[in-house]
Amino acid sequence: MASIINSISFNNFFNYYGKHEENTYDLKEGVNIIVADNGAGKSKFFNAFLWLFNNQILDSDDKISKNIKDVFVKIISDKAKSETPIRGTVECGIKIEYTFGLRYKYQIIKSFIATRISEDITDPQSWQYTPKDIEVNKSELILHRYVPIYDEDDKRTIIDKLIMSNFRKYSFLQGEEVDDIIDFTKKSSIEEAVRNLTDIKQYEELVDLTEYLKTRAERDLKTQNNDSENQNERLENAINEKSNVLRNLEFEEKKLDEYQQSYTAAEQEKNELDKNYANAKKRKVFDDKLRDENKKLRTVEKEYEEFLERINGRFFDGNTSWISMGFDDIVSNYQATIDEYNEARYKKKALLEVEESPNSYFHFLPVHSPDMMTLDSMIKKEHCFVCDRPAKENTESYKYLLQLRDRPKGKSSKKSFVKNDFKEFFSNLQLNAQPFYNKIDSIRESVNRTRSKEQTLDDRLTELKSKLKSLKDQRKDILVAGSNSENNSSPIISQYQGAIKRMENSRVKIDDNLTPRIKKLKADIKNLENEILSLSKTQKIPVGYIENFTIAKDLAEATMKAKERVYDKMIMLLESHANKHFQELISKNELEGGILKFEKSPSGSISFNYIDSKGNIVAGNSEGFQRMKKFSVVMAIISANTTKYNYPLLADAPISAFGEAFTEGFFEATGNVFPQSIILVKELYDVNDEMKLTKLGKKLLKDENVKTMYVNQVTPGAEQIDRLTTKIKLK
Amino acid sequence: MNRNIMLKEILSDKELMKKYGIKEKEIEGLTTSAPYYKSIVEVLATIINEKDNHLSESQIYKRIKNTYKL
Repeated sequence: MASIINSISFNNFFNYYGKHEENTYDLKEGVNIIVADNGAGKSKFFNAFLWLFNNQILDSDDKISKNIKDVFVKIISDKAKSETPIRGTVECGIKIEYTFGLRYKYQIIKSFIATRISEDITDPQSWQYTPKDIEVNKSELILHRYVPIYDEDDKRTIIDKLIMSNFRKYSFLQGEEVDDIIDFTKKSSIEEAVRNLTDIKQYEELVDLTEYLKTRAERDLKTQNNDSENQNERLENAINEKSNVLRNLEFEEKKLDEYQQSYTAAEQEKNELDKNYANAKKRKVFDDKLRDENKKLRTVEKEYEEFLERINGRFFDGNTSWISMGFDDIVSNYQATIDEYNEARYKKKALLEVEESPNSYFHFLPVHSPDMMTLDSMIKKEHCFVCDRPAKENTESYKYLLQLRDRPKGKSSKKSFVKNDFKEFFSNLQLNAQPFYNKIDSIRESVNRTRSKEQTLDDRLTELKSKLKSLKDQRKDILVAGSNSENNSSPIISQYQGAIKRMENSRVKIDDNLTPRIKKLKADIKNLENEILSLSKTQKIPVGYIENFTIAKDLAEATMKAKERVYDKMIMLLESHANKHFQELISKNELEGGILKFEKSPSGSISFNYIDSKGNIVAGNSEGFQRMKKFSVVMAIISANTTKYNYPLLADAPISAFGEAFTEGFFEATGNVFPQSIILVKELYDVNDEMKLTKLGKKLLKDENVKTMYVNQVTPGAEQIDRLTTKIKLK
Repeated sequence: MNRNIMLKEILSDKELMKKYGIKEKEIEGLTTSAPYYKSIVEVLATIINEKDNHLSESQIYKRIKNTYKL
């Protein structure tokens, strides 16, 4: 008997504005598809069930499950809230109807009332929350008349029967949470599934019971021996020896347990770090690149700073002389002015000197006057070559020659001819300015060169910064859970490698040391038990006691083996079902499918790997592919159940990462596994299509396994306050 | 139903079948209900039944001893 949800309806629940009657989805046994674009009510639909079962909803803003009383304002339709006057009330709720078997139908209504107390409709302080009792009604299918259930336990039972809490994790899937359906990082994940699906617990109880019965039978046998007149010392010794071996076994098993725990902890750490490790390794690549790029950035930044510092120098450096840029006219003006000044100055000076001593300034030399060298020669030889006459020393002729030779120097005037003589000052000014104004023509080119260099450096800095940002963003996108995005990836890598090392150490201890020792001790016990039995037979012990012990001993061993057999068989069954579903899921892909392999690890847990035809573990497939593997295992857990799975699958966007080929496979496979599937999906939505369906959506609409199909729509372009979800029933 | 499955599963142990002369065909017909054609079947059926009846370990042991008339 399976639970089949007949309908779900909403009353002012999120975008589902209006009464239940306006927001009812009729559903059927088989595959039910609700196609909705983002924001069109998929997660809200799903949240109805979360609220029903857990009194929580998943806040789509931060993906955190929150208690309803903390977020009740959020879940009331904004339109309904805005229409509620202050001091008025609005009711928000969900209603689910389901049948169980062929006789009864149930109705569950969960709701609350919110009273508006102030203006701001989104502020929780503006509302008062009043929960209502869950209403549960029951009806005979043929009567169509609901009778209320008042007993709280009965209500709980009816709610739980919709999807039993043990199975909700396999039946109740939210988007990317598919990844967590089976947490393969935990030893218990598949074991728990096996436990849920088999009667292994009963075998375990039988193992304990038969062990107890064996001990009691052996104790009775010992008592009989002790009571016997002819006590057998060897029998007594064998029984005592067995007790000693048992103590050793107990000790070794305790050690084994410790090492298994240690292996499990390391294995879990490793599994938890698996994704992080891969990501940490990827991050490390980025870290290395970032380090290199940071180094380059620092070099260029330093170069840029030094470059900027040097720019000041270029104003005053004679090689560049930027300070004189734009002084072109001033230089020529200055030159003209100083020429004018000099001219005036010389005029003044000349006039003054000439005035005072005209003969000192004017020497009228005869035609063909000799040059200085000839004069020197004439003075030396005391003879005038001009008139070819002697000019002896101290004669007038000689003195005339001397006067001719010394004519300009002998009479330099130091007399001031202006009040302030700025000739030297102006000359120095001109001299000092020379390096600057000589460069004026090339300054613009120098500035342009510098600006070009500055631009180059700036571009390089921008480029490096942009590269660094891009690297950092890419690095940040590689999520490493529990690790700050700024942190170095190396600790994760070493933590991961440390976990692997601890696993290996424990494995060596378990496989090479403890397991053989325990095996030997068990063999010793078996031999001792056989010895006890054979020695008992020589005693006058009633046959019943011997037979009691013999059978108890054999049954204890056989029960233990049966338990292991059942467990192994279920693992093999799960493996075969998982592979069957996996092949179905990837059947529409061109992908070369490998094999899903379940294996026992030294800790006794079940590890789950995807291997190729040569037995190599395949890693690094796409996210959709990884999710598909996990989904195969979930479906295997359901389909491998010896009794038919009795609960609906409720999945919100379970295929968002699958891709179209996977999506098609998913709908086929899910219909084969679950008695009812309610799939909320956006991948089949096409806003441009008249029916709002993709090609695959239309194909599925015609599929006989698909029993109902709805398309959800929100008011296009509407403000949040006016946004409401409407539905079109296509099938 | 489950009781029978468990009984068959435990008794289908090869070593046990050989030691107690239980044949494959006989396994298929085994149930936890009397009559039992072998002691080992009777003991195991008692264990499974009485465990299901929520008898304590020592009560079950007493029941088993009764089967040997001890």
